[in-house]
Amino acid sequence: MGIERRIIRTTWGYDGNLEPLYEVEDKEDAILVTFDLPRVRKENVEINTTENTVDVMAKMSDAVCWERWGSIQKRISFQAFRKQIRLPEPVDPEKVSASFKNGILRINLPKVRRKVLINIE
Amino acid sequence: MTSTVMGEEVRIVEKEGVKHKNPIVIEGLPDVGLVGTIAASYIVERMGYKEIGYIESDLFPPVMVVHEGKSKNPLRIYGDEGVVVVLSEVAIPVGAVYPLTEALADWVKEIDSKLVISMTGLPATNRIDIEKPEVFAVGNNEEALNELKDKQMELLEEGFIAGPYAVMLRECSKRKISAISLLAQCFPVYPDPGAAASAIESLDKFLKLGIDIKELLEKGEEIKLKARDLMRQTALSAPEMQKGVEQDMPIMYR
Repeated sequence: MGIERRIIRTTWGYDGNLEPLYEVEDKEDAILVTFDLPRVRKENVEINTTENTVDVMAKMSDAVCWERWGSIQKRISFQAFRKQIRLPEPVDPEKVSASFKNGILRINLPKVRRKVLINIE
Repeated sequence: MTSTVMGEEVRIVEKEGVKHKNPIVIEGLPDVGLVGTIAASYIVERMGYKEIGYIESDLFPPVMVVHEGKSKNPLRIYGDEGVVVVLSEVAIPVGAVYPLTEALADWVKEIDSKLVISMTGLPATNRIDIEKPEVFAVGNNEEALNELKDKQMELLEEGFIAGPYAVMLRECSKRKISAISLLAQCFPVYPDPGAAASAIESLDKFLKLGIDIKELLEKGEEIKLKARDLMRQTALSAPEMQKGVEQDMPIMYR
């Protein structure tokens, strides 16, 4: 991480997007990613996955506006959460499933894994 | 301001003229789900408690918080004669936990507190399916346990506890101060206003202040948004704080 990035480590952007809190868990056969998405409705969540990434865009039902925000000291509003996560192992995008409850998005990403049964001699 | 020096590493500084009458001390430091922090802030706001002091230490990050143009210590003390609330707007570094809790326990003894109550979370892997989080309690002596039974609190019967509140129980025991921890089921790494509301409901059995949690629940989503960065800081220090041990089962030697 560059020095500038370490000093200006923002979890928000001037483009009106906030970085959500998220957690990545390795569940042996799958990777479970959860996101905390307050002010978001299920129909406003868009998920895109590849073998190596999961990309979440979630529009808030109403924009959040803060006056004199932190270091910029200006009025700023945020309309959406956006985050792309690089996954620790390849997954099968066709088998991904997701659920949304009480502002928590859960994405289950089954790993691409060819299982071979080994006979014990 | 008058300074009360409690050891070399952590200093608790009270405003001049603050009086205490065997107060109940409420501790709401950042931990899983920010349960204590959210609950303590809400209580201070609802009850209109005044700032009565702060805590400083070279062990804390060199950070001040600015509110309405005025710099303040991130660890502050609020209250009145009968109730004292300790809260923090920054994560507590693991190296500061022992000196901080020792200094707090010394100070609590000095102000002759009748009871210390820490509010925190109990990580629940199925939290998403829990409508109303349950609250479990731990006491540090017979008196505290009797108090919990009297209030019909559900006890955390077996397990490990880790973090500032766990050390606070021990430090209070050493000084013969009754202390209780209230642990509300929570999301481990997401701010959890619902869990904070449950913790306040339980706390109010002791305080009897009639704190209405309706606004806390209504503003839950806004609180979650504002608490993102503190939650992120707190979650980063969780492994060092040995929070994972709370999911372990202790070997049953009593």
